[in-house]
Amino acid sequence: MTNRPTKDQGKGAPEISDADIVAAMREISGYLDITPGDFKEVYLLAFRHARERLLRRVTAREIMTRDVVRVRVDTPLREAAELLAQRGISGAPVVDDEGRVVGVISEKDFIRGLAPGVSSFMGVVADCLQEGCQALALRERQVADLMSSPAITVMEETPVLEIAGIFKEKGINRAPVLDSQGRLAGIVSRGDLLGLTVCPTGGAP
Amino acid sequence: MNYFRKMRGTTTSPPRVSLSEIFWSWLGAFAGISLLAYLNYQVIKGTGWLLLTGSLGASALLIYGAIKAPFSQPRNLLGGHILSALIGVCAYKLLPGHLWLASGLAVATSIAVMHATRTAHPPGSATALIAVIGDETVHNLGFLFVIIPVAAGALILLLVALIINNIPASRRYPEYWF
Repeated sequence: MTNRPTKDQGKGAPEISDADIVAAMREISGYLDITPGDFKEVYLLAFRHARERLLRRVTAREIMTRDVVRVRVDTPLREAAELLAQRGISGAPVVDDEGRVVGVISEKDFIRGLAPGVSSFMGVVADCLQEGCQALALRERQVADLMSSPAITVMEETPVLEIAGIFKEKGINRAPVLDSQGRLAGIVSRGDLLGLTVCPTGGAP
Repeated sequence: MNYFRKMRGTTTSPPRVSLSEIFWSWLGAFAGISLLAYLNYQVIKGTGWLLLTGSLGASALLIYGAIKAPFSQPRNLLGGHILSALIGVCAYKLLPGHLWLASGLAVATSIAVMHATRTAHPPGSATALIAVIGDETVHNLGFLFVIIPVAAGALILLLVALIINNIPASRRYPEYWF
């Protein structure tokens, strides 16, 4: 073996040294016909496989937040903003009269509504300081006017590996989770994915 | 430059085994090889048959001294020796006047066939070579060489390995059969 594994091959694997492996080999009685270098290569590759298997096995159902704060299409924006602030969250699914998820409303949508063409909070501040706040203009509007629609949703069975890909590709931070009947069952956020780091010391999922 | 750097090596040698491991390796090899040699020199003397070949001494290191290694498992021990013996005898019979070519072919082919059949057992290649460069006794056996000494000798060493390697609590043999 000439190409020793790089960190990349065992992404997320705990650092392991030849000395660790030699120490482990001493604990196992009997002669192991493998060099520490080869063992390390096997270990890092096996770790990557295990990590992918776990991430494929863990689904939205197991990591989602079930007690979902939701708003209705006809909720006034004033109330929606108050609710998000109260619950300390930055976004929520929007449901219609039948309880179907028709969109998501989040800080990003409010920022866009406050200062068109601006994409950050500091952008809103700068805009307000220059031209005066447009927040009052939103006062009488409803969630339906500002929400991102249609909602990007996932199913309860969607593996977290796939969810991470969707978040990255669509540039979103949360996705409502639907059950097999299409009803809102929960929500997964980037924070929920962070709790998943597969690491022996941090407790695997 | 990279080509020469590869010759420097990249890792360390495995640690030395415990004294008890050394003891059980010694005992297994002593029992196995002594038994074969006794049968060879005392029991079948004068029959023109053989039970000992040099390659079985190499097998002793593996099946008594490195009992966890894939090389040392029954599939590899028996498969490697038997297939290689067959290849060696064929090489000698096909090219009796060209020992240099028969030697190279026997060893190289035995490696290829052992890899292909997942029976790699290093002493097998020695068996293939012995079939070519061996003395009159070996050559007179013809294809019988595959059965005795090779298959029979390997089988006897395997029986001794099963008995001796499983005595200490710290040892277990085999890891797998086939």
